[in-house]
Amino acid sequence: MSFNQLVADDFVVSADSITAGLWTNSETPTITTFFTSSTQANGSSGNYYLNIFSNEATSSLEFAVTYGNQYGSGSELYNDTVDGLSYTSTIYGQYRSLVLGDENANFVFGGVTSSDFYVISVDRNRYKEGLFPGSTTLLVSGSDGVISLTDNSNAVASVEFNDAGRVFQLVSGSAGTLFSGFNNQGYSVASGSYGWFLPDIATYILNPRALGSVEADGGIGLIPVTASNSDDQNPARFFSAISSSNAASFTANSEETITSDFVFVRPRSSEYNYSSNPSFISGSTGEVLYSSFINNPTTYMTTVGLYNDTNELLAVAKLSRPLKKDFTKEALIRVKLDF
Amino acid sequence: MGYLNNSVVTVDAILTTKGRQALAQNDGSFRITQFSLADDEIDYTLYNPTHPSGSAFYGQAIENMPLLEAFPDETQIMKYKLTTLPRGTARMPILDVGYTNITIKQGASLAITPQTLNYLGGNQSEAAGYTATISDVRLVTTFEGVGIDNAATANLNASSTTTLGTSVSSTVVGTTINLRATTVNTLFGSQSQLNATLTIIGRDSGARIQVPITVTKVS
Repeated sequence: MSFNQLVADDFVVSADSITAGLWTNSETPTITTFFTSSTQANGSSGNYYLNIFSNEATSSLEFAVTYGNQYGSGSELYNDTVDGLSYTSTIYGQYRSLVLGDENANFVFGGVTSSDFYVISVDRNRYKEGLFPGSTTLLVSGSDGVISLTDNSNAVASVEFNDAGRVFQLVSGSAGTLFSGFNNQGYSVASGSYGWFLPDIATYILNPRALGSVEADGGIGLIPVTASNSDDQNPARFFSAISSSNAASFTANSEETITSDFVFVRPRSSEYNYSSNPSFISGSTGEVLYSSFINNPTTYMTTVGLYNDTNELLAVAKLSRPLKKDFTKEALIRVKLDF
Repeated sequence: MGYLNNSVVTVDAILTTKGRQALAQNDGSFRITQFSLADDEIDYTLYNPTHPSGSAFYGQAIENMPLLEAFPDETQIMKYKLTTLPRGTARMPILDVGYTNITIKQGASLAITPQTLNYLGGNQSEAAGYTATISDVRLVTTFEGVGIDNAATANLNASSTTTLGTSVSSTVVGTTINLRATTVNTLFGSQSQLNATLTIIGRDSGARIQVPITVTKVS
């Protein structure tokens, strides 16, 4: 007999979290150069967002930045006779629907309500399942200095959720360690947190009120221009704030859960001691190669095959070197199948 | 005092082409229920039972050899299965299908009834039957195993020639394997014959034989 049935105890399912650098060059978790595409910026999509690249190649698309305003300020109106409907109000409504799931809800960053925000939306090709909490360090520059932002995932006792999954506050600090110089929670003095980190949709939403406050209050003076029916280029201003030579550093990791199926294969002492290998026999009559193999056969397993009920070979694993098997030996082989 | 070696060999498995097909079909056929072991790549003539340094060195030439990575083609791996036989077995089971190669005309039928030699004290048909795998199911319009009556075998035989036009293998189980060569002319293109392999394995003995199969175009 050459097939052995597997029983329930032979199977173990395991889920492991795998993290990696987020950007195009995944070996380097930090990007320090930022480019835009004039083709994209001058196209129709440029009214809504700017694509950001880490080098001059279009294959290096890393994320997009945009600006949303509840009242449509900061961009031209779609129609001069319809007040409040503009590119920025569309962005605001888009993220309100995506993140809050309620058209009457507001964005409340660390206890302070904001009617506008900047957004960093990481390109889908950069991450596997989501972003890895506690890995972010984003430098943002303004007229009143530079601030380093991270998420507070390492500091919270319980995780908050909204319609976009897990929500962490963006706080002053780096690599998950908050800076409590202005506020013991890492927030600005009077304008709440610096935004939200939404790892499950790979998005950062930044609070312009906190970033726009003065240095003494934990801000950097990065204030969006919010004139009515005016193309104020707030995405470009935010791009300048993160690409400025004072800042120009964005670190983050992606996260993926790999589900593995472990199958434990247990050949017993009395099993698998003979082989159908042509070199195991001599001649055409099937006699074993050596007379010593009659009572003390020795085989060398190299391959494990996993089959279904109808003997179809579904998966196969090779050992790194032959494993000796005879009537005095048993083996325990753990076969790992990743999905 | 020494520590006992309690290490577990861990290996990474890959899905075979058949495994990916079963997964895509989403019909329950991707369900691992049994395992088998093989010694592909091993040449037992390298085993030296007269090694001057003693029995610990008999397998020296085999035990340290590097092994190739797994091939995803299910017909090219697990070729030589290890088998469980009573201690004292002097002759290994050998399959006899009556052919060393099969040439069959387009549309013609053939029944193959394998026999296992040197098995359980004689030559006989195995009680659990035989698995037969054709490497390219497009070559046959009928490919079925008969003689083993259970639900799993019936399901396998019912879908054995289902293909989306791609070259995939098909496996059936039975004591007799019936096949009928394809009648589809377009498969031949400009060629006058199509080639594949038929692999038959004894489900009890593990004995294996692979026979080339050629389908010749009629018109």
